[in-house]
Amino acid sequence: MTLHQIAFAAVAAVTLISAVFVVILPNILRAALFLVFTFLGVAGLYVLLNAEFLAAMQVLIYIGAITVLIMFGIVLTQQLMGARIRQATQVRMVVIALPVVLIAFAGLAKTFIRPFASAGEHVAAAPAPVDAGTLHQLARMLLQPYVLPFELASLILLAALVGAIVIAKEEKD
Amino acid sequence: MRIPVDPSDWLILIPEFILLGTAIAILMIDAFAKAASDRSSPWISLAGTAGAIVAAVFLWGNPLSGFGGMIVNDDFGVLVSTAILTGTALAVLISVDYVRREELPAGEYYALILLSTIGMLLMVSSANLIMIFLSLEVLSIALYVLTGFARMRPRSQEAGMKYFLLGSFSAAILVYGVALIYGATGTVDLQSIADELISPGVLGNPVLLAGAGLVLVGLGFKVAAVPFQMWTPDVYEGAPSTVAAFMSIGSKAAAFAALVRVLIFAMGGLRPEWLAAVWVIAALTMTVGNLVAIAQDNIKRMLAYSSIAHAGYILVAVAAANRLGLQSIPFYLIAYAFMNLGAWAVVTAVTRKGEEAVGLSDYSGLFWSHPVLAGSMGLFMFALAGIPPTAGFTAKIYVFMAAVAADMIGLLIIAIVTTIISAYFYLRVTVIMFMERPAEPPVVTVPTPLAVAIAVAAAGTIWLFLFPGVTQSFTDTVARLL
Repeated sequence: MTLHQIAFAAVAAVTLISAVFVVILPNILRAALFLVFTFLGVAGLYVLLNAEFLAAMQVLIYIGAITVLIMFGIVLTQQLMGARIRQATQVRMVVIALPVVLIAFAGLAKTFIRPFASAGEHVAAAPAPVDAGTLHQLARMLLQPYVLPFELASLILLAALVGAIVIAKEEKD
Repeated sequence: MRIPVDPSDWLILIPEFILLGTAIAILMIDAFAKAASDRSSPWISLAGTAGAIVAAVFLWGNPLSGFGGMIVNDDFGVLVSTAILTGTALAVLISVDYVRREELPAGEYYALILLSTIGMLLMVSSANLIMIFLSLEVLSIALYVLTGFARMRPRSQEAGMKYFLLGSFSAAILVYGVALIYGATGTVDLQSIADELISPGVLGNPVLLAGAGLVLVGLGFKVAAVPFQMWTPDVYEGAPSTVAAFMSIGSKAAAFAALVRVLIFAMGGLRPEWLAAVWVIAALTMTVGNLVAIAQDNIKRMLAYSSIAHAGYILVAVAAANRLGLQSIPFYLIAYAFMNLGAWAVVTAVTRKGEEAVGLSDYSGLFWSHPVLAGSMGLFMFALAGIPPTAGFTAKIYVFMAAVAADMIGLLIIAIVTTIISAYFYLRVTVIMFMERPAEPPVVTVPTPLAVAIAVAAAGTIWLFLFPGVTQSFTDTVARLL
């Protein structure tokens, strides 16, 4: 096992284990805290893929903004703070879910491992993903060949902003 | 992929830019002159939509592609865009008095309608999986908000929330499919995917098949195909009638265009693999849509199931994937824009404040108080059922011909049988309006813009029956793409 593989195993374990805690913890504030570790793990995966910029964005947006927003939501909603929420911890659910998940996972593994191994030379022949790692090149990609999707994303934000205002606006009667 | 963006590439997007400028103008007027905006925004939107139609027609006939092949402007795209813009124009017309009556914020309403239309148009001309996803998001986010636009009505809120949750989930499935297709082919460009599929190593790759399947699920949700249709009746029932009218044609047309581009243009070489899936989905969609529609007493829910059923017929043309099929899809969508918007316009007229009077019984004896309104509704019901002399008949005949040409006799039989079944619930509305004669027939007011919309829709429904060749000569050029 190379160092890279060991690092991957560690990061993946952190991501998956904290994801499980997010789902099973009855206290919603703790569940939200574990969400931070899940997002951190995903950021770690980006680092392992040489996408440092994406990793930084992941930390900034998912941990810095989204999780904090969730926390605010929980703290400001009185009934939620101390509440114990029944999550998917019932034995019956697990008994039903486990075989389904295992079968699905086995199917996925069977589907994915072989073709990626055999199609390896093919994927390599495809245009190598341009070094999105360095900020400079990323900016170049976004503003040259991918300028249209980039601008389109701003249109999504505009629609979302107008929509959010419509929904949250106070009724003035 | 290092393709420089040529400044002239932006010319392809003129219709979208006209709509965007209009939307921003409406928002600005709304911010600075609220009273003026309430009166003027529908007319500004209508002018913008008309401008976009003119621009789209000017783009007709000279196939262009830009942004390194991300956006194509071919005749197929222009035809579907015409269907979408027709739907938008009619939806704006029927909204004029509705928005006032329901006291909805006018500026934001029309701006969101236009933003959603931009997403639809971009989705039609996308030739790149990333663009398809992003334009899907633009059109969906605006629609989620529009669905829950009547904030004071819990039904509308519930519908908006439901649509948002299920829609986000289906978008995630679509992205997963895009990622798998990229993993198998190394590209998100539809033309390059088509080129990759020539090599046998890629063709049998299960990752590619899984990706294609997930994309089919994601887009199937948007066109309301069974078994991804669960949201449709609740959303159509809860959403403001005008919004339901708008999305029943717009998001369906856009998603079908994307489906055609992905399945036929990019993955035509994979047809033996995806045919079985599309076959089953089409058969289920026609059957479930038409059978469940029979049991509906609420006209909005009935039209929702009718819209599911029509998605099934268009899916037959997609499954055929031949010349006739490609010709019939734009024709079907344009015909559907007229007849379905017309039916929704009548529903909007009969509905009273707060989305009351949506039961079939509210149409009882409508003919005796409003003969013209009831006559138009009868025409639209005939058209949706596929009875001549209406565009619905011609559209269905084209689809059936495509199925025959593709040797899909089983699917053809299901399509014909379900069409006959569907006549029952469409004609029932007509019977209720004409044959029943209650002591007090319903009295409704039909404002002028709404009347114009109904007249245009009725004229279009008959016109496309009399002169199907108008679009036929257009669609001939589409078929040459194959």
